[in-house]
Amino acid sequence: MLSFCTFVLFFLSLSGLLHAKSSDGDSVLVVVEEAHKKDFTIFFDSLKEQGYELTFRAPKDETPVVAEHDVPSFAHIIILASESKNFAKDITPQSLVELLSGGTNLLLALSTKQTALSSLAAEFSLILPPPSTPLVSFFPERKDPLTVIPVPAPASSLILSPKLAPVWFSGAPHALGNNPFLVPILRAPAESFAADTDSGADALVDATEKGGEGFWAGSQLSVATGFQALGGARVTWVGGVDLFSDKFAKKEVSKGVKSGNTQFARDVAAWTFQESLVLRIDSTTHHLANTTTPLEQYTTNDNIEFSAHISRFNPKKSTWEPYSGIKDMQLEFTMLDPHIRTALLPVPGSPGKYSVTFRAPDRHGVFKFVIDYKRKGWTHLHSSTTVALVPPRHDGYPRFLSAAWPYYAGAISTSVGFFLFSAAWLAGESREKKAKAKAQ
Amino acid sequence: MPTAFPLPSDLSPATVTNTASLLRIVALSLISGAAIASRLFAVINFESIIHEFDPWFNYRATRVLAAKGFYEFWNWFDPTAWYPLGRVVGGTVYPGLMATSGVIYNFLHALNLPVDIRNICVMLAPGFSALTAWATYMFTKEMKDESAGLLAAAFIGIVPGYISRSVAGSYDNEAIAIFLLMFTFYCWIKALKLGSALFGTLAAVFYFYMVAAWGGYVFITNMIPLHGLVLILMGRFTSRLYVAYSSWYVIGTLSSMQVPFVGFQPVSTSEHMAALGVFGLLQIVAFVQLVRSHVSSKQFQDLLFVVLVTAGLFGFAAFVGLTYKGAIAPWTGRFYSLWDTGYAKKHIPIIASVSEHQPTAWPSFFMDLQFLIFLFPAGVILCFHQLRDEHVFVIIYAVMASYFAGVMVRLMLTLTPVVCVASAVAFSTLLDTYVDAAEPDDAVAPADSATPPESGATAKKPKKAAPAAPSTGSALSDLVAAAVPNKKKGIYGLDTRFAIIVNAVGMLAFFVFHCTWATASAYSSPSVVLASQNADGSQHIIDDFREAYYWLRQNTPETAVVMSWWDYGYQIAGMADRPTLVDNNTWNNTHIATVGKAMSSSEEVAYPILRKHDVDYVLVIFGGLLGYSGDDINKFLWMVRIAQGVWPEEIQEPNYFTPQGEYRVDEHASPAMKNSLMYKMSYYRFSELFGGGPSTDRVRNQQVPKVGPTLDYLDEAYTTENWIVRIYQVRSEDLLGRDLKSANAFAKGKKRKRSKPVSRRRPIL
Repeated sequence: MLSFCTFVLFFLSLSGLLHAKSSDGDSVLVVVEEAHKKDFTIFFDSLKEQGYELTFRAPKDETPVVAEHDVPSFAHIIILASESKNFAKDITPQSLVELLSGGTNLLLALSTKQTALSSLAAEFSLILPPPSTPLVSFFPERKDPLTVIPVPAPASSLILSPKLAPVWFSGAPHALGNNPFLVPILRAPAESFAADTDSGADALVDATEKGGEGFWAGSQLSVATGFQALGGARVTWVGGVDLFSDKFAKKEVSKGVKSGNTQFARDVAAWTFQESLVLRIDSTTHHLANTTTPLEQYTTNDNIEFSAHISRFNPKKSTWEPYSGIKDMQLEFTMLDPHIRTALLPVPGSPGKYSVTFRAPDRHGVFKFVIDYKRKGWTHLHSSTTVALVPPRHDGYPRFLSAAWPYYAGAISTSVGFFLFSAAWLAGESREKKAKAKAQ
Repeated sequence: MPTAFPLPSDLSPATVTNTASLLRIVALSLISGAAIASRLFAVINFESIIHEFDPWFNYRATRVLAAKGFYEFWNWFDPTAWYPLGRVVGGTVYPGLMATSGVIYNFLHALNLPVDIRNICVMLAPGFSALTAWATYMFTKEMKDESAGLLAAAFIGIVPGYISRSVAGSYDNEAIAIFLLMFTFYCWIKALKLGSALFGTLAAVFYFYMVAAWGGYVFITNMIPLHGLVLILMGRFTSRLYVAYSSWYVIGTLSSMQVPFVGFQPVSTSEHMAALGVFGLLQIVAFVQLVRSHVSSKQFQDLLFVVLVTAGLFGFAAFVGLTYKGAIAPWTGRFYSLWDTGYAKKHIPIIASVSEHQPTAWPSFFMDLQFLIFLFPAGVILCFHQLRDEHVFVIIYAVMASYFAGVMVRLMLTLTPVVCVASAVAFSTLLDTYVDAAEPDDAVAPADSATPPESGATAKKPKKAAPAAPSTGSALSDLVAAAVPNKKKGIYGLDTRFAIIVNAVGMLAFFVFHCTWATASAYSSPSVVLASQNADGSQHIIDDFREAYYWLRQNTPETAVVMSWWDYGYQIAGMADRPTLVDNNTWNNTHIATVGKAMSSSEEVAYPILRKHDVDYVLVIFGGLLGYSGDDINKFLWMVRIAQGVWPEEIQEPNYFTPQGEYRVDEHASPAMKNSLMYKMSYYRFSELFGGGPSTDRVRNQQVPKVGPTLDYLDEAYTTENWIVRIYQVRSEDLLGRDLKSANAFAKGKKRKRSKPVSRRRPIL
């Protein structure tokens, strides 16, 4: 079933991918105020360059609708209208989550204002500071306002390009809850903090007196965070819409060094729109070691070989390629609890194939081969195949047991005894007859 | 000699014998016909359907056997039962019933009679009841004579106590087991009478069949040794007993060990030790007899004393030692509950929760046996009159079975045959006495009246004297004889005879009416289909169970796991063909307790359990709308108790009662009750039915709160026409990793409370 689905998906994606970069489709809805549309030309152009078809829509426009008859109309949605209080009625937090379950990827920008999106952020376990509490930093010294901050990119990141220059940021930061699906992309600098710039330094003092409560320290905050939902769809939350703007893209970080905003926007869009770090399980098979046909049920203590084929999406060629780079995947053989948990390692020489041979436990029941690979940034891989593990057949047990020798000995001695007894009896009878005959 | 009415005197003895045997054959076939016909109420009133719960498993297993053959059945591992543990069916089932049906099926198909396996299963029990009547006839014939045998056959053919387990469609082990029980006993009595190894072996073969067919074989395993032991203690050891017992025990035990489910139990569990012990004792006694014939009596008595004492002590010590070491399994809980009726309730709620394991109520003795229960003691007393070896057997059987029938409702079934036999003996003695034309002869001395003349008209006369004759040595008749020394005893004239016979025939007639009524009204409901009466008296069929099961069958993927209380496991597997968590084969207490815990916990606690067991659908039975009292809310306390047995910290029975100790479902219900999954699933949207009016639960006669429970982790998937079965779908995990309660709140548009980052710093003071 699973393999069939992936097969169909494979063909669907093949047909769609000849043009698009994304593994998920190339239609993008951009929700942006008509007036601000020209502020993001660099970002939009880079997306178009990648092969995406952009459709623009103002927040209060009724068309084009995001979903028709519960089927999402677009593969990806970007909402850059962070200041808008009201959206058209088909864009609500609930409908956005509904879109996520349909596989639509979302790129959402927040602002320091309280909007519908801020309440949605809470559902993703993002903790926003109170309204109009932007990120503030006094470092490095610069001419810009305190709320316009160059955020250094992390030294190593799966999502962002290496050696990315600092990224200009202005907007609201967020703290991360304990949701394991969150993928931190860009953290706020440690020396920054979130503060109400209007009320001055008093709030800061109050917060310190309360033992840090309500003190939004930069070390705890992020400015851009990804979210990998269970269905496979991706969401990226960015604290401020300016990050994508032409102004910040052109702005220099220091003398002669251009900001990393353009590249950052491209990287984030690539991750969100399922170009990078996208994996899938093409197929899984299981069979007895030394054979090739899969069985519906195995016997306890059988040696079972399980293999999975895994592909990774290559955005440059828009194709799925076998991928052998996963070194920490595990296979579980589960009935209620994992009875066996073993490393599922790539097979050298056959790209994309991961295989393991193990001895089935000495316990009958309905077992599942479970692959549950969840790593931050990467697509979640999940596969579950049910097989029954049965006790040996009535003729599947060893015939002669050394432990049973007392019984064999008993049976043999009784047979021999019976034979001897019969022989003696018959012999005695005949002698008696002879004796009688003699007597006569 | 004077007679009360003229007897034909010109009949040759051969004519009389032939006529009698023809009449017997006709009577037996009529009895068989009546036995089968009276069991067809279920088919006529409802349809040809498998009944109740266990038969559904037997039917499903039989289909596998018929379709795939015996070896595949033997090795059948059922992955859909006890999900995800699975069930090794071949090793955990008594295959006798399925094998019997399979043989019949293959036989009929070999004759090119394409009979559906379902019809064979439905009609098996009535068919075997005819055989039971015949076996009872043979057995009773050994006790008294053919006329008593015919009466016994007629009784067992229609007695409700047996019909209750053998109507058409009641495809359960008991359906064939009673025939095997009676026939094994018959073979045993025959073997004992004749000292025949052939009949002993025959008894062993049918004992094997019985072992393969029903767990109640333990009754035979203990009855026959007990009979042997009592005979030895009465000083009635004979070589006949030795031959009969030894051949039965050796062959019977060896063959019974071939049944996979029984395995080594006959040599390793306490229930079977009596048979082994008596077997050993017989060898010793036989040896002692041999010794006695070779040594003088004084020496022998000393020797006997020493040997018996040492052997007894040694045997007992060995038994205790082996039990202590674990080589012999101690008595099982089910067994203890036979001695102490309160035991199960205290220690094994799962056994106590089965309604047929409850002690028998007095009325049910009358319901099941009617006037036989009054005749039964008379028949047992009559057995004392002659007290041949086989009469001892009936007496022991009567005593044991009476006790067990009083302890457990379902063991009424083992009592029924002996009641029929003893009553038939009593009734036929009564008839013999009063139909007999002989009158006491004034001229003949009282001593001669001991042997009443043979009467040709009333079939064969027994060797046994009528109660009128005082020579049988019974203490009672001696007393009576002593009290009235000069009066002659006997029956004079036709009037007394007439009065008694009319009365007796009247009893028989009323018995037939009672049996017909009890069978038609009480024992023929399939319990899969319910019947009620419309206002105009016509029958209205309530078919909610099958509606729900077919919904599951048609609308869910084949691998969808259904959780329900264990009562419905077999039916879901049989009719809906979906994997179930627990079913009526209650071998794993923990797994059942897990389901009990899920049902009696709140949604948040239950959800991880449901996810862990891959549950897709939850099915509950709710009778509140219709007044169907066998629903899950009424069984709910058992779920709580069973769960409490495994998780005493998490589930506590008192929490489900109000502080006043009442079991309520209305607004006074306890919080644990109201939050439990079972309560929520039962009453979800129930009050909406009443459109704002008072919503009454018609089973418990309480008003359910107007604001019904809400469900966050389950979705209502299907509710049947009369709300008897409600099916809920378990929601999949939330897309965003939230708990489903807050996800649900979000979907309904509720605002989440603003959260703050966890403070990691402490102020320096």
